[in-house]
Amino acid sequence: MSAPLLHNYDLDEDCYRARLVAACTGVALDLRNVDMFPGAEHRSDAYMRLNPLGTLPILQDETLVLTQPEAILRRLAALDPERRLLPEDEVIAARIDDWLAFWAQHLAVAKAAREIALMATPGDLAALSARTARMLRVMEDHMTHQTIRGLGFFAGPELTLADLALFPAFALSRDHGLDHDAFPALRLWARRVRLTPGFITMPGIPDYH
Amino acid sequence: MTGTQWVPLALARDIAPGTSAGTMVEDAEIVVWRDTDGRAHAWEDRCPHRGMKLSFGFVRGDHIACLYHGWEFDEGGICRKIPAHPDLEVPGSICAARYGCTETGGMIWAALPLGTDPIEVPALPDAVPVRSITLEAGLITVADMLLNEENAVIEGALATLDCAHGPLAIGVQPIRPGTVALHITTRPGASAETLLAICDWAETLRRAAEKEIAA
Repeated sequence: MSAPLLHNYDLDEDCYRARLVAACTGVALDLRNVDMFPGAEHRSDAYMRLNPLGTLPILQDETLVLTQPEAILRRLAALDPERRLLPEDEVIAARIDDWLAFWAQHLAVAKAAREIALMATPGDLAALSARTARMLRVMEDHMTHQTIRGLGFFAGPELTLADLALFPAFALSRDHGLDHDAFPALRLWARRVRLTPGFITMPGIPDYH
Repeated sequence: MTGTQWVPLALARDIAPGTSAGTMVEDAEIVVWRDTDGRAHAWEDRCPHRGMKLSFGFVRGDHIACLYHGWEFDEGGICRKIPAHPDLEVPGSICAARYGCTETGGMIWAALPLGTDPIEVPALPDAVPVRSITLEAGLITVADMLLNEENAVIEGALATLDCAHGPLAIGVQPIRPGTVALHITTRPGASAETLLAICDWAETLRRAAEKEIAA
């Protein structure tokens, strides 16, 4: 069985999420780097045939072609025989589902803000960045309460897929001008996430340890 | 601001040894960092080389290093290492600007404005950190709300009051016009349940303060 193939662009935060989940679970991944910016290769005929949405990342695994970031992360985490990011406890699993939905539905503004700031895509940067600040505040309040309960991560005492899905939006927020000053609980949480065996960075997330 | 004033920058617990964080007091950008021996420092958040924020950098032992070109500064703010010129004996005249800094009552405090020599260092009783919380509301709005609580007193940048869940000592940090951070502490021995109830009190206060602004 060959390793799953990730169609990847290094500066895209969802591509980073997929690489990060694979790295932290020891799942082997083949990478094909796509010239997303400035080449727009992800909108070429070959790529539009593979993914009519014209987005990255795309994960190809045997007969599967996955285009939704959440489905890609879940698939990679499920390939780990230890399932270290997807514990079996039903309550923790429900919390993971809730935070993955929060990421997909409410934190997508962070990615949109960053793309406007870095890749000059059109949009209202100030409004999206302000909305991102509101969402990071929701996360800050939750992590503050978790810390008081003695729980170091979003869904419980251990790192799960929820933490790796949420981490990039916080770690990259300075790319669209949003500092970390108002989020001390998230700063300490991000530091714990960085200590995960296998953890990798991407441009914009300094590697200083 | 007249004369020297002590302003709280963070809960002491939230700045772990070997880490740094950026913050602001009345628009002045400050990096607060803790060396690996545990001593807290507050400096102007600006590398003298290219103006990069030092809070984006990293702490190595008792030095803080800029993320941009790796210039390293010792506890006294003096540049000790320039990686691009490894053989250079760095002249002692390259300095980062430092604030007076102390740690008391579970908080890290800086003496403002920059360059003033603090005479008296505050000494507060031991306290348990609850949380820091940022409010998008003006200083007067927030102060009025705190003063509505039982037995509330504000002295300098410290508010003390009794909420329904116990006595609080709160450091009040004016970030910029329209933004205030509160560093909330309570008495030692508070249970996790009490700390969560105080968080709820603080988040309710934040909703009310921000509603007042929106109205």
